[in-house]
Amino acid sequence: MSSPSPWHTIGRHDVLPATKHDDRARFDIVAHLNAQIAQTLSPRVKTAYEARARQAFRLRHGRDPVDRHEVAEAMQREPAYRVFSLVRRNTMEIRQHAGRQLVARQAEALRDRAKWANDGARTLQLDPTLEAPRYVSAVDTHLMRGGYTAERMTDDVTNPANYDAGMYATTGGAGGPWNDAAGRALVDWLKREHPQFNPRRIVDLGCGLGHNTLPLRAAFPEADIVAIDVSAPMLRYGHARARSLGVSDVTFMQADATKTPLEDSSSDLVFTTMVLHETSRQALPQIFLESHRLLRAGGLTVHLEQPPYRGLDPFEQFMRDWDGRFNNEPFWSALHESDLPALLVKAGFGAGNVFESRCSALPPSQTVIKNEDFGRAPSWYVVGAWQAAKGIASLG
Amino acid sequence: MDHSLPQIADPIPRATPAETGRRPEAPQFTDDPMLDRLYGVTLALVSELAVTRSRLDALERVLARRELVDQDEVEAFVPEPAAADARSRLQAEYLERVLRALE
Repeated sequence: MSSPSPWHTIGRHDVLPATKHDDRARFDIVAHLNAQIAQTLSPRVKTAYEARARQAFRLRHGRDPVDRHEVAEAMQREPAYRVFSLVRRNTMEIRQHAGRQLVARQAEALRDRAKWANDGARTLQLDPTLEAPRYVSAVDTHLMRGGYTAERMTDDVTNPANYDAGMYATTGGAGGPWNDAAGRALVDWLKREHPQFNPRRIVDLGCGLGHNTLPLRAAFPEADIVAIDVSAPMLRYGHARARSLGVSDVTFMQADATKTPLEDSSSDLVFTTMVLHETSRQALPQIFLESHRLLRAGGLTVHLEQPPYRGLDPFEQFMRDWDGRFNNEPFWSALHESDLPALLVKAGFGAGNVFESRCSALPPSQTVIKNEDFGRAPSWYVVGAWQAAKGIASLG
Repeated sequence: MDHSLPQIADPIPRATPAETGRRPEAPQFTDDPMLDRLYGVTLALVSELAVTRSRLDALERVLARRELVDQDEVEAFVPEPAAADARSRLQAEYLERVLRALE
């Protein structure tokens, strides 16, 4: 059984909230509760399904459940699933509450530190006229009150500070000290699969606070990198964090990923990490269209996500759907039922240029996780496409 | 002679206002909403007890390192006014955490 990393091993930077003993101990028990859920409660849900619920479904329907909806019907009243859900939901609530108290008491100090780090920098480009889409502004994603865009005072950075500190507890440090496993996984995948690929302009759509942007900076030191998000607080915090970590040449730009101000055919790599499931049915195809518009011939769009439900065992689909049902991820289920390769083709990429793959990143100290906490292991589904010469893709 | 009640220097400290923003709608996992709340309080207590035990462990180790542990002194301890205020604030924040599910 792998133990979560204690919170004090998180990577330090100037805008990380200052913690006292009990703050760290509280994040530690959250990480241990999550490990307990993955190692003990989750396997019991599977046992209950195989030993009782599936049998009861067979008796009623004369066959096994064929999809996650039928598994849900079979499992709705299973005590093991209800206990799993109660403990998992409450652990998320406890984690969020711990983070809210932590940042509320130092909100002004965090704001001042971010302002000091960001002062006068041309690499932080905020657009006060931008209205965040409702799929971001109306959702308390992951039970984070106010969501990504909430501003409780001028120049507020409390929600990103909470997100940054708490994510390390939620994942038990599985993303490494900088919570950047997805960015590192993308870099590993690029270097392994396409060692010759050397992008000059890189665009991160939905960068949040830039956790997964910075590994690209380290991997492609010559590239021009633009990290885009709709949330001013996330960008303020992310820009200050990057500077504190010695990165002062990534542009953090407030814009909508469906209509960025960047020029046509201006970029070589356009990517997202765990962003698509937080968009919407309308925005998703528009983000792919925008990726297509931004790419030069020979450019690449790559998206890291949890795997699609298609082809997965119905029980696993059901377990992976938990976040969609109970962790304020309203587009989660629909995204994982979407045919992303088909949407990329629809956005203009040639069918022969669209691909699916897998990538993963393990921090050096991390051993292989025995029982994956569905959807939270540092391993991703990759979907993407190469940009053919303009005018040819549409014929193919 | 002044018979007025002594002035209280500070009002009772309020908990850190962490409860800002919208309250997400909580799903119900049991047949009785009161039972869901009881789970919520119980799990918060579970985590808070873990925090307290960690803190005691830290304290005992620091004191032992300095050869300062004196059990009788701990048993007889009464906080000074400033310490009592600090404790009061801790209690308020503590209750906000463990009673979160009842809000």
